[in-house]
Amino acid sequence: MGEMDAGSRLRPARLLIAGLVAVIIVLGLILIAQAVARSTTMAAEEGARPNALAGSSDECVACHRQATPGIVEQYGVSTMAAAKVVCRDCHEVSRGYPGAVEHEGSYVLGSPSAAMCQRCHGLEVAQYNASRHSLPAYVAVVGIEPLSDAQRALYQAVPEGSFAPDKMRHALYGIEGPAITRFACEDCHNIGKPAADGSVGQCQKCHLRHEFSLEQARKPETCNACHIGPDHPQWEIYQESPHGIAYATGGYRWNWEAEAGTLTVKDFPAATCAICHMSGFGTAGTTHDVGDRLTWYLFAPISQRRPSWQDNLIRMQGACRECHNEAFLEEFYTAADAAVEAVNERVRESDAVMEPLKQQGLLTAEPFDEPIDFKYFDLWHYWGRTAKFGVWMQGPDYTQWHGIYELLKDLSELKVMAAEKLEAAAAGN
Amino acid sequence: MTLLAELSPALERVRRRLLPLRRDQMMLLMAAVNLLFLGIDTYLAHSISGTIRPYEWIPIIFGPVAAVLLLAAGLIALRRRPLASATASIILLASIVVGLLGAYFHLRRALLPNAVPSEQISVDLLVWAPPILGPLTFSLTGLLGLSAAWVEEPPDSGILRLGRRRTLALPYSKTQAYFFMVSMGSLATVISSVLDHARTGFVNPWLWLPTGVGVFATVIAAYIGAIENRRRVDLIVYAGAMLLMIAVGVIGGVLHVLDDLTASGAFLLERFIRGAPFLAPLLFANMGSLGLFVLLGPEEAAA
Repeated sequence: MGEMDAGSRLRPARLLIAGLVAVIIVLGLILIAQAVARSTTMAAEEGARPNALAGSSDECVACHRQATPGIVEQYGVSTMAAAKVVCRDCHEVSRGYPGAVEHEGSYVLGSPSAAMCQRCHGLEVAQYNASRHSLPAYVAVVGIEPLSDAQRALYQAVPEGSFAPDKMRHALYGIEGPAITRFACEDCHNIGKPAADGSVGQCQKCHLRHEFSLEQARKPETCNACHIGPDHPQWEIYQESPHGIAYATGGYRWNWEAEAGTLTVKDFPAATCAICHMSGFGTAGTTHDVGDRLTWYLFAPISQRRPSWQDNLIRMQGACRECHNEAFLEEFYTAADAAVEAVNERVRESDAVMEPLKQQGLLTAEPFDEPIDFKYFDLWHYWGRTAKFGVWMQGPDYTQWHGIYELLKDLSELKVMAAEKLEAAAAGN
Repeated sequence: MTLLAELSPALERVRRRLLPLRRDQMMLLMAAVNLLFLGIDTYLAHSISGTIRPYEWIPIIFGPVAAVLLLAAGLIALRRRPLASATASIILLASIVVGLLGAYFHLRRALLPNAVPSEQISVDLLVWAPPILGPLTFSLTGLLGLSAAWVEEPPDSGILRLGRRRTLALPYSKTQAYFFMVSMGSLATVISSVLDHARTGFVNPWLWLPTGVGVFATVIAAYIGAIENRRRVDLIVYAGAMLLMIAVGVIGGVLHVLDDLTASGAFLLERFIRGAPFLAPLLFANMGSLGLFVLLGPEEAAA
């Protein structure tokens, strides 16, 4: 009797549990069906992203919705906003923080420094600090003079910094003056500019505010912002290369939002700037050090091997091997190395042409004040570099007509100019 | 007579010879192993962003610590069962809390409270957010362990002995409760798998395998938990479903590892952390194993 009582007493509880289990299973099955259905139609609807700030009453959002609505709109559809990162997380600092400005009762950085990004993206910032995009980019125009001791140490620890540890301010930077350089050199080279808080770099140069889109950062057009023009025409060379043609004709099908660190040839069937230099691809791990896979200092007048270039080569070829076989890589690297040496030889020849002028004091003390200065500079800075970049990035027209041809032409003109100076000097004597 | 004996007397004889542990001891051992692997899996999952926030360390640290403490409780149980039960209960209750808190944090991360109402929650957000059901594995493990920690007397009665004199009458027997837990665990596993695989658009036909098997196991386990009189054929179908779960887990584990290796077969840590989660498919195998262990009861006494 007692057992029956207990049984009937527990009957409602049994029903409740059985009912709950049934409801959970049915709801679960509906969710499964919906997820499957959505995932198979997701591609068609890509681009329609919810705005995480549409109904926000946050005071930053509310005010900036009036003051700078574009920024609020961009940030609303960003993955950062979806991840609950709020304006204050990146902008707000304590009173007295270097570079802080008082803003509506709090203190903010108008443009967050790398130190702010580092709070969540420590590894990326550390890799970036070891890269050419860091202090070497900035020092290339302003020299090491403005750097603190710590920053000098950081600069000299970067391969490009060890190559030119006592780099002076670039002469053209001084000649052109701030009215021009503000819109010229600085626009690109400030990617490595130290902030007031001592941290280095401007992440937003590549990760445009305020969407912080993976697709935007990965697309070659982003690199095109700086890597264009006669001094380093990587964008133009890429467009001419088989990789660039594949991108131009099929890139719209590629998986630009693929999870970092998981990329395969299914996502990117051909190379982009990021695939070769930054993305985890093949056996190469993801990095924000853009020099991590390079074997030469191609930027230099006479290129030298980079420190640990053999390790870098293994990393780069780890990405190449996803599409190219060993024989191709062996042949290509051997030939490209030889091409670099060939360009080096021509630049050495130009140095030899200039040497007697320097020894005899036939050049003015001021840089870039006579035609021969520009001719000598263009020869390696434009044409030598372009030829080398054309070789490595497989842009034949840039190796040939925009590269070595121009270099040879300038070399012959340089010889004439040097001879004239020497003859004039001899006649004067 | 155990369910395994009903299913196959020969298997029961083999089990008695090879497996000296009782069902509840096996369940507690599985709870400890689960907590350890949950800690590792959580560490890998939380590492994806490259930054582990302070509160994200809670499950990472809790998992292995709880596993060690549970094993210690198992040793204490050899001499002082009440103390061991109390210790295990505290750990397992904490596991439930950790799981619920994690689910709350993950769900909060998935919602967009400031978006327009129709966009505040969507399947897409659930697909791309941290796995909402993932942390609940801690809770399920806690619940499972709690059920195992307390003695049911008489067997299959639903009456738990909480101390020397105190008892608690539950609506269902321990065996039925285990079946329901296996069902819920399988459901959570299959939902997590579907949400994860939804990111790939289900273009790979292999992805239908875990979905189908997971749903099948969920329904079968719930059914067999709800019915009072199980026939042998019911147990055969149930055991088959659990074996399929184990097979899916093993196949999935291998496929995930293959997917994480580069095309040339090279190992790259980054791909294992950020690519296909190689431990996740083992959850299928885990649920399948738990499901099979349920068949070891309801008798408490070992052979």
